[in-house]
Amino acid sequence: MKLTRRDFLKISSAATAGLALGGCTTMGFNMQPVQEQAWRLRTQDAKETPTICCYCAVGCGIICHTDNRSGKVIYTEGDADHPINGGALCAKGAAAYQIARNEKRITKVLYRAPYSSRWEEKSWDWAIKEIAKRVKASRDKSFTVKNAKGQVVNRCDGIASVGSAALDNEECWIYQAMLRAMGLVYIEHQARI
Amino acid sequence: MAGMSFLVDTSRCTACRGCQIACKNWNQNGAGMTKNLGTHQNPPDLDGNTFKLVRFSEHLKDGKPVWYFFADQCRHCIEPPCKDAIQGYVDGGVIHDEETGAVVYTEKTKGVPVDEVRASCPYDIPRAKDDGTVVKCTMCIDRVRNGLKPACVKVCPTGAMNFGTRDEMMALAQERLAALKGKFPKAQLLDPDDVRTLYLVTDDPALYHPYAVAGVRPGISRKLALRKLFFAPARNVAKGLRMG
Repeated sequence: MKLTRRDFLKISSAATAGLALGGCTTMGFNMQPVQEQAWRLRTQDAKETPTICCYCAVGCGIICHTDNRSGKVIYTEGDADHPINGGALCAKGAAAYQIARNEKRITKVLYRAPYSSRWEEKSWDWAIKEIAKRVKASRDKSFTVKNAKGQVVNRCDGIASVGSAALDNEECWIYQAMLRAMGLVYIEHQARI
Repeated sequence: MAGMSFLVDTSRCTACRGCQIACKNWNQNGAGMTKNLGTHQNPPDLDGNTFKLVRFSEHLKDGKPVWYFFADQCRHCIEPPCKDAIQGYVDGGVIHDEETGAVVYTEKTKGVPVDEVRASCPYDIPRAKDDGTVVKCTMCIDRVRNGLKPACVKVCPTGAMNFGTRDEMMALAQERLAALKGKFPKAQLLDPDDVRTLYLVTDDPALYHPYAVAGVRPGISRKLALRKLFFAPARNVAKGLRMG
C-alpha cells in the first residue's frame, strides 16, 4: 500500500482522536496551536491630562484620557504620580469618566416649585436671581441684632452652610467671608464631616 | 505555572467598591439593574456587565456583629475547567494566555450555553451578555501585556487588591497570612495552589460567599463530560479529513 503525505495526515489525526476517545481527554483539547493575539491598549494614543477629582475633600489626582481624533474623554484613572492618592480612587472617583460621558447627566437647570410634582426647565439667570432673592429673604427674617441679654450680636440664625469640598483655600476664604458678612454662624467645611 | 497572580487581602478591604467601578470603566461595561436586598451589595450578583463584585455579608459572632467583604472575580484557574466546557462547543472560545496565565473568553463564546459554562466553574463566575456572549474578568490582559496593572488593582486605595508575578504574590500572601494568624486563627488562603486570584480571608470562607472556595458542587455535568469526550475529538477527525 502506497502512503501519500495526505493519507498520513488523515491517519495521524484520526489516531489522536482515538487516543482522546480512549480516555486521555487532555490530548483531545490541546491540539490547537497557541493563539497569538496582539493586545492593544485602548488608551494607547490618547492625550493624557491631569485633573483633580471633584467629589470629596481628599482631592485625588486623576488622569483624563482624551481621544485625539474625536476630542472626547475615553477613560479616566487615578494619577499614579499624584502625592495624595498615588493612583488609587474610590468608587465615585473611579466613575469620574461619567462626569463627561453620561447621557443621564443633567445639563440644564431643573426647578420644582413648592408642592409641585414636576420639574420645569429654567435659565441660569433665573436660578441665580431666585437663589439670591430667597437667601436675602431668609436672612432678613432670621436676623438677630441683639440677644436675650441685650448684647449686640448681629447674627443670622436661619441659614447654615455645609460643604464646599471641591473649593481651594482661596475660594473657601471668599465664600466664608460672604457668609460671615450675612451674619451666618453655622459654617462647616466638608473636610470636617 | 509561573505567570501572574492577584492577591485579594480581604482584611484590608473597606468595601469602597472602587475596584468594581474601575473594572466597569476600563472594560466599558454599562450599569446593571440594582436592587435593595438589605445590603450595600449592588448589582445583587455578577452579570454580563459586572465582572467584579464586592460581596457583603453580615453575621453574628459571639453576640457581636461581623461584616465581611469579598471582592469576587474570576480566579484564573491554573487548569481552568471552563475552558474544557467552552471548547466542547466552539474552538477558540477561550484563550489561556501563556505569558500571564490569564483565562480570557473571546467573542466566539456567543451562543455557548452559559449555564453549562457556569456549572463547570467551581466559583460560579461566568455570565452572559444580552447578545449571548459568555463573559467574565479578563485579568485586564490588554493592560497587563502592556506593562500596566489591572484596573481593579490600580484603583485600590487600601492595598486589598494586589497584582504581580505568581512568586511575588505567593510571598506577599504568606507574609500577610503570618501577620494575621495571631489575631485571626482562622485566617487562610483559598485554594492557593489551583488559582491565580489568591484570596486571603480572616474567617471561615463560607461566611464570605458560598462559592469562595471550590469543591462544594460537582465540577461538570455528565452531559458536558460526554460532549468533551466525543464531540471535540470527532471534530478533530473531521478537520483532519477536510485537510486531506
